Amino acid sequence: MAFQLLLNVFLAFVWMFLKGSTEADTFIIGYIIGLLLIFLTRRFFTGRFYLYRIVSILKLLFIFIKELILANYAVFKSIIRPNAKLTPGIFAMKTVLTADWQITILSNLITLTPGTLVVDISEDNSTLYIHAMDISNKEATIEAIQNSFEKAILEVSK
Amino acid sequence: MKTNDLILQTITKVIVFLILLFSVDIFFAGHYTPGGGFVGGLMTSAALVLLLIAYDIKTVANLFPVNYIYVAATGLLIALVTGISSILRHKPFLTHAFNKHVHLPLFGETSLHTAALFDLGVYLVVVGVTMTIIQSIGEDK
Repeated sequence: MAFQLLLNVFLAFVWMFLKGSTEADTFIIGYIIGLLLIFLTRRFFTGRFYLYRIVSILKLLFIFIKELILANYAVFKSIIRPNAKLTPGIFAMKTVLTADWQITILSNLITLTPGTLVVDISEDNSTLYIHAMDISNKEATIEAIQNSFEKAILEVSK
Repeated sequence: MKTNDLILQTITKVIVFLILLFSVDIFFAGHYTPGGGFVGGLMTSAALVLLLIAYDIKTVANLFPVNYIYVAATGLLIALVTGISSILRHKPFLTHAFNKHVHLPLFGETSLHTAALFDLGVYLVVVGVTMTIIQSIGEDK
């Protein structure tokens, strides 16, 4: 991923030197041509074509923004309810992610979802301890949301 | 009970660079805009303190193997030399010299001023003193 991105920037610079101009639009045209060349020779690289990964990063960003809005709406609903019937509790959740940054992003996303908060991580980084605002019937939906997060993060790091 | 600081450490790895970059920006902004050696030094110390919070004293000492007392002394020395250099030009002590129109590559029209060197001295003294205080308090035998 990083190597392909650097190669693309390098090709754009070479294009600028060939054209003999330092304008931004020359750089952009060179970048697009370099992107095309890297796409044609994508089988030579070890990773996949890097645009796929950028698309999945954007997907993760959109999931994040959507969850942020939904979370604040859910909290707003439970605040203005006159007599809340909440049963708070802490449960453990196994995660398939291994890298530090993956677990960090997953934890921050879970913290931003409605009514859930990461309290602690186990010593071997395999289990997240999550505090839920309403533990009674939400288990299944929370698991579903986290599966979508984990899928998106795995998609980025493929 | 030992807690797992994974999230704090991962975030720290990213944030420390931003804080250090911001401290360099504030240091160079001091002449025309708010900022300067003192605030920049405090900001650099803040980045080091964040590292100390996320990791431990040994790790940070391995990262930056410097004696902070020497850093403060170097800063004082730079400020003193800046002051004495004006005596050599038959001007009163601490008279600053400047050159308004210097063409540096990449930077363009820059005005060089010896107050920046004095500020560098202040910066090093602030970093050295802050880190010395915090490390002396933090070390438990």
